[in-house]
Amino acid sequence: MSSSGPIRLIEAGATSALRSQTIYHGLAYARTPRTPDTVVLLTPAEPYVCIGFHQDLEREVDTAWCGDRGLPVLRRETGGGAVYLDSDQLFVQWVMAGESLPARVDRRFELFARPLVATYRDFGVAAEFRPVNDVHVDGRKIVGTGAAHIGEAEVLVGNLIFDFDTGVMTRVLRTPSEAFREQVRQSLDAYMTSIRRETGSSPDRGAVAAAYARHCATALGRDLEPGTLTAEEERAIDLVDQRFTSSEFRTRAGGRPWRGVKIHEDVHVAESVYGHPDGDVRITARLRRGFIDAVAFTRNDHGQFDGLQPLIDGLREIPLDHLAVSRVVRARHPAGDALTPGEVDGWVSAVLDLDPNREATR
Amino acid sequence: MSDHPEVRGCFLPLHLHYNVHENTWVEVNDDGTVTIGMTDIAQNLAGPLLHAKPKKVGAVRKKGKPLATVESSKWVGPVKSPMTGEIVAVNEALLSDATIINRSPYKAGWIVKMKPENADTELAELHTGQAAVDAYKTRIEAEDIKACEHVEGFEA
Repeated sequence: MSSSGPIRLIEAGATSALRSQTIYHGLAYARTPRTPDTVVLLTPAEPYVCIGFHQDLEREVDTAWCGDRGLPVLRRETGGGAVYLDSDQLFVQWVMAGESLPARVDRRFELFARPLVATYRDFGVAAEFRPVNDVHVDGRKIVGTGAAHIGEAEVLVGNLIFDFDTGVMTRVLRTPSEAFREQVRQSLDAYMTSIRRETGSSPDRGAVAAAYARHCATALGRDLEPGTLTAEEERAIDLVDQRFTSSEFRTRAGGRPWRGVKIHEDVHVAESVYGHPDGDVRITARLRRGFIDAVAFTRNDHGQFDGLQPLIDGLREIPLDHLAVSRVVRARHPAGDALTPGEVDGWVSAVLDLDPNREATR
Repeated sequence: MSDHPEVRGCFLPLHLHYNVHENTWVEVNDDGTVTIGMTDIAQNLAGPLLHAKPKKVGAVRKKGKPLATVESSKWVGPVKSPMTGEIVAVNEALLSDATIINRSPYKAGWIVKMKPENADTELAELHTGQAAVDAYKTRIEAEDIKACEHVEGFEA
């Protein structure tokens, strides 16, 4: 039975961008009750951008910029946001029977993270599991993970990050303003990390892959045995190749309204608009654990704000809730008591619209 | 006895029919159609939903095949149909706000309505009433499924 026998380890090495996504999808679609649980390790040989299953391609990615630079853009069938991926990452992909994993998704992630954390620690990175599905180093994210039920398989995917280009990651995103893009870049620099950033060097990939396989066997309590793809799996991967490169799949409509960029579980960058009579004011902010961590106001016409700096300063480090925001608006807006209740409500609502989980009032 | 018994805080209305393994429910309507959705347990396991995309009206789905995909911050997966039939209506409201399922899994968060092909046979294969509650008790304890937590304004 697949949940107790050895796990097949497929070390696919350096693959095309497309295959770095389609191998695990094909394995999942080809899965039968007789298929062994499988762990795939690979590195994309070329850089690319990958969007989540339900995302809207044109809403999330600057496809013209990517096209000019020959960066492929693919859609995956796992969730999450748009990410820039390249050869500075080792992908880890589990394709397993449901009974081989804990029933609860949070426990699946805890299990999946265990060998990732242990591998990082082998190479001098003080990684820790951060529930539900992150691995952090002192508050900075160092693994991206996802989970899905594909075909008849349970899939968990993640990556070991040797180095990460926050500049390109930021540039591939479609953003509402340059202020927003800059805030995303600053937030990625502040709240993401890599092996190189933590240790100053990049270890040998083979050594990292070997360490991961060893820790994976320990975490799952089963041997990992090197294996290859079957002919049926190759055919399934070919079919996924065709679908993933079809315009219909890449550009399928989807997604709820755009609500900013998630940096990690605790950190989001968001933007909202206050309809000022002299021109819309864009409010760009970084939210951390429910607080406004950083905030900036900009105007499309680059106009001045006539004394709004005290309001901007007052919004920093406050919780993103109605009471706190309305207190700051009343106390720090330059119009003071001359603000009408409607103007107060307008400012408060615009700031609260930064909350990615709030019902949009826009 | 309540019409909405709880198992570890998860509501299970007695009048519905449940596929306990796939965490879906079926309600039989007066016009012979059935309404299908995710259980309270399913929405809790998934967490706050970001997306829910039902198949289109007119699609014929076999039992066990996906009739929608849902995505939370943790997981993407299918909602597998508990019955075979043609989809005659989808809950369009879910396309813009999938958290309706979290707030109201058995009412406003319904996913599709279906005209079933083998209603009597397939309903008999589902659990209902106290038998459903007992089946869920067994599953929840065996898999140590966490207690349900409900968002503000939740309706069972």
